[in-house]
Order: sequence, then C-alpha cells, then structure tokens
Amino acid sequence: MSGFNLYTRGDRIFGIANASLMLLFVLSTLYPFIYIVSASVSSGFAVSSGQVVLWPVDPTLAAYKHVLSDRMFWISYGNTLYYAIVGTLASLIIMVPGAFALSRPRLRGRRLITFLIAFTLWFHAGQIPFFLNIRDLGLLDTRIGIVLAFACNAFNVILLKSYFESIPASFEEAARMDGATDFQLLWKIFIPLAKPALATVTLLCLVTRWNGYFWAMVLLRSEEKIPLQVYLKKLIVDLKSDDGFASRLMTAEYSFETITAAIMVASLIPVVIVYPYIQKYFTKGMTLGGVKE
Amino acid sequence: MSSVHVRDLKKSYGHAPVLHGISLDIEDGEFVILVGPSGCGKSTLLRMIAGLEGVTAGEIRIGSRVVNNVPPKERDIAMVFQNYALYPHMTVAENMAFSLVLKRASKAEITQKVQQAAAILGLETMLDRHPKELSGGQRQRVAMGRAIVRDPKVFLFDEPLSNLDAKLRVQMRSEIKALHQRLKTTTIYVTHDQIEAMTMADRIVVMRGGVMEQMGTPLDLYDQPANLFVASFIGSPAMNQIPGSIGAKGFVADTGHVLPLPTSAVAQIGRSAVYGIRPEHMTLEPSGMPVRVKTVEPTGSETLLLTELSGPQTSIDITAVFRGRVAAAPGDTIHLQPDMAMVHLFDKETGHRIMA
Repeated sequence: MSGFNLYTRGDRIFGIANASLMLLFVLSTLYPFIYIVSASVSSGFAVSSGQVVLWPVDPTLAAYKHVLSDRMFWISYGNTLYYAIVGTLASLIIMVPGAFALSRPRLRGRRLITFLIAFTLWFHAGQIPFFLNIRDLGLLDTRIGIVLAFACNAFNVILLKSYFESIPASFEEAARMDGATDFQLLWKIFIPLAKPALATVTLLCLVTRWNGYFWAMVLLRSEEKIPLQVYLKKLIVDLKSDDGFASRLMTAEYSFETITAAIMVASLIPVVIVYPYIQKYFTKGMTLGGVKE
Repeated sequence: MSSVHVRDLKKSYGHAPVLHGISLDIEDGEFVILVGPSGCGKSTLLRMIAGLEGVTAGEIRIGSRVVNNVPPKERDIAMVFQNYALYPHMTVAENMAFSLVLKRASKAEITQKVQQAAAILGLETMLDRHPKELSGGQRQRVAMGRAIVRDPKVFLFDEPLSNLDAKLRVQMRSEIKALHQRLKTTTIYVTHDQIEAMTMADRIVVMRGGVMEQMGTPLDLYDQPANLFVASFIGSPAMNQIPGSIGAKGFVADTGHVLPLPTSAVAQIGRSAVYGIRPEHMTLEPSGMPVRVKTVEPTGSETLLLTELSGPQTSIDITAVFRGRVAAAPGDTIHLQPDMAMVHLFDKETGHRIMA
C-alpha cells in the first residue's frame, strides 16, 4: 500500500525542531539533578577543583557519612516531615470544607467570598503585615505557626471548588433523598468522588511544604524547629565561614560542596520515591475543573 | 403507600414563571405519568414533589401531610434519576444500602432489605460490582433497588429510560410496570415519550408551557383529546389535522375536499374548525379523498403511507397506517376514507375540542 504522505516538509521540520527543543528542556532539567548526585558521591577535592562535570570522580560516600552522623540533619529532617505532613493535613482540613461550601449554590454570598479569596491570588498585604500578624498572634518561632500560617491557599481552594462544582448535581440530590446531611454528603460522596482533585492538592501542599524555606527562615528562631531547607542554607553559610574547615578542604574526602550536595540528595529521596506514584495527578491537576466528565 | 395532592402549584425562577398553577390528585398505589415536550415543567413538578425545588405558591400534600417545607429525606419518598446517580465509588450493595446506613439501620436489616430488593430485580449476583461494571439496564435496576430498599410511600422516576437503547427501553418499561404491580407503591413518572406514557400509566398528565393540558387514562386521552396539542402529542404517528370549516354536507377542508362528519356536528355548521383523524382510522375506499402517495414505509405487520391532499390553494400532509401490506408506490393516487365514528373536531382559534 503506497498510501499518502500526511506530513508536509514544513510539518517534518516543525516536528524535528519541536523534538530538539523538548530534548534541550529535558537536558537542562535533568543536568543539575545528575550533577548534584555525582557531586555528592565524589571526593571533595574533585568537586572543588571542577573535575566533576557529569559523572562522579573519585567515588566516596564520605559526605553522606558526615551528613548522616550530624544530629541537626536528623532534627531538621524530622521538622520538614512534620511541617509537610501536619501542614498538609491542616490545609486539607481547612480547604476541603471551605471549597465544598463555596461550590454549593445555596451558600449566600458565595460569589463575594469566592471573589475575596481569588483576590488574594493577585493582591495581598505583603510580607511585613504578614510577619506582624504572625507575631501578634503569638505564633512566631512555633511549629504550629508554620503549620497554620500557610494552611489556606487561594489557588487550591479554587481548584477544589471547581472540581466539586463539576460533580453532577444528581449525586447530591440522590444523597439528600437518601437522607444525607451536609457533612455526610461531603465525607461519603464528594470526597471519594473528588479523589483526583484531592490528590493534586495534597501533592501541591506536600511539595510546597517540603521545599518551604523563606517563611520558615523568617518566622523560626530556634535551631530545633528549622526545616531541612533552612538547615541546608545555614550549613552552607557556616561551612563557608569556618576557616579551619576550609583549610582542610584540599585534604579531606569531602568539601562543603559535597556535603551540600549530599543533603540535597537526601532531602530529595522522599520526593523521588513518591513521585512516580502520584505524578499523573500533577498533569491531571492542571486541567481539573475545566471539563465536566 | 400514600396519595399525593397538588393544589394550584406555582414555580418561578426570578421573574420567569415555570409552572402556572397545577392541581392534581394521585391516589394510593396509582401509576401516574407526567408527559410533555422539553421545557413544559414536568421535571420541575416532580422535583418539587421530591423536595429538590422550592414551592413558589400552592400546596403539596403527601397523604394528609403538607410537605411544602419538609426536606426531601423526611418526605418518605424515593427517586430514580435520569442518569441513575449511582455513587461510582460504592458497590451495588453499598449503593442500595446507603440510605439505610444513614438511618443507622442494623446490619441484619440492611442485609435483608438489600437481598430482598436484589432478588426482586435480579441483581443477586452483582452486589459486589461497581456501577461502571454494569450495563445500562443493570444500572437502571440498581437505581430502582436503591429506591425499593427504602420502602417509600411514593416512587418518583425522572425520565429513567432515556439513556437506554430502544430495545432495552421496551424491556425496562415492562419491568417497571411489573414492579409497580408487585409493590403497588404510588408512582409518579416523568417522560417525554408518549409511548412510555401510554403503555405504563394508570393515568397520564399532559403538560405544556407549565400548564396541565389534560389528565386521564391513556385511552381517554387517545379517544377524547381535550385539545389539538393533546391530540397531536398522544398517539404515534400523530393525529392528522385538516383545517377547514363545518358545512351542511360535511367538513369542508381548506383544500376544497368534503370529508364525512357525524350528524351531531350539524349544530356547528359554519364554524371554522380543525378535522382530526388518526392515521389508523382511515380505510382505502374509492369514495374517499384523493391523496398522492409521497413515501411508503412498510414495517412488516403494517404499512405507513405519507401522502398529500392537494387543493388549488393549499395542500396538507396526511399520514395513514394500514395493517398488513398495501400495494401503493410513491406518486400513486389513492383514496382515503375517514372512519366517521373516529373523527375529532377542534375549534380553529382555541384548539379546544368541539364535539365528542
């Protein structure tokens, strides 16, 4: 069968250019990741002297041994886990009922409330009033302060609200005929039906919490409460200002670069493990609420 | 079981009226079908009885209790939705048991009622399946099962067969009818399909534009339509309507043809009217009106002819149905004789029935 050539020359050139561009994007995304992993298992001298480009040089686990024996690493790791898990749970507990209520047409003033929530996506008070708020609430330098301060996110509320609205009204009507209260309707019908949206929001919350840095640095003073990202920053600053440590760099098996890389890899491990299982929700989340299934 | 009484029921959305004052009485155990074209308000009326829509004015009583402000769950009714509204994350058994679980019924009671409903509907082997694993007909049965387990006073059906294919629709029609005969629960059923209405209902309510046009038994509506709308809506193919006037020798169609009239019509001589005759109430007679055959549709058991009655000024389409085969081809001229006893006359202006 000879068939027809469906693609013109222009189509083919476009296809090749497209693929090349995509490849470039993939490489530029993957390269830093590969470099960090390689640096973390290379000798300090090899990294400092710029020998590590792609693959490990003088492979060693010395940086990991140093990091894993550091008490503060484990404390900050635990803090990050706490902020990620408890923070995400708090976010869901606050946002899910809120979004559900906003999705119900019978809620009076729901348009105004939705508008006010959406308003904060573009305009907010700014960092100083936010800091003062947290201070005046007595939440400065507390774990619960970090959990509550970012518990409600306008984007996630609107995403959940849109998804709840896309669930056919007949489910609610059927459940009401069956005798469901508002809470039972949410818990037994809407939450199970909104699993894709909930997974997306959970993931967004988890990732944001896991990578949380700026506000944790601003709001927390005690070393015992800082998350991993803040600890990492602190470590880099400490190591760089430690002259004795710097003088040992040329001879030690690790440098502050390899230690930094090892902490980064260690902090990435949970995300790398979980991501393959939930990555479909990332892409799904982008289109949630847009189409009625 | 319970009766349902609706008094002067009105519904408006903002300033847009949807129901203009409906009154009807549905007796204990009766199967009543609300039928009419899209937008006539039949589903709104059903949803108001269910408690899913508020009442603008008027009264709804279930039994002796006024339920205008009673929430759906306290009305002791069950509803089957057009899209079934089965909870996709629950199994068939869980779907059917949901209302009982919310009522905190005992496990033994739930199991017994679900098993009982499953047995009635032939769902015993499907209790552990999820809705997506079921065919359309099976989903429909689960939706009915969910209603049955509640043992309600009234069943409400909102176009339950419209998502099924033609064959399954006929089968489910019989199953719903058989179910009603078995349970004897008062049933209110909404459809836009007049065949569904004719074959299932004890009584039919024909609606149009938020108004009740006529209520009666299927054969009452077929034999004695109150107006042109009901006459054209009930019966398939629809009743032929020939405009003209009542003359001394018969009905004078606008085409100039004179059609036979019963003697009782003499009192109406001179009146502008519409002559109604159903397609199946005509015979082939040489003395009949001459029509030109446009298409022939043989179904095996009967033959449907689409013809044209032509006059100097105008022409009118006439449909005729005959049992068995008819030797006619497009372009032929045949003669159709209306059965005088089956003629309907309607006022040309108001569309109301003139004579029995």
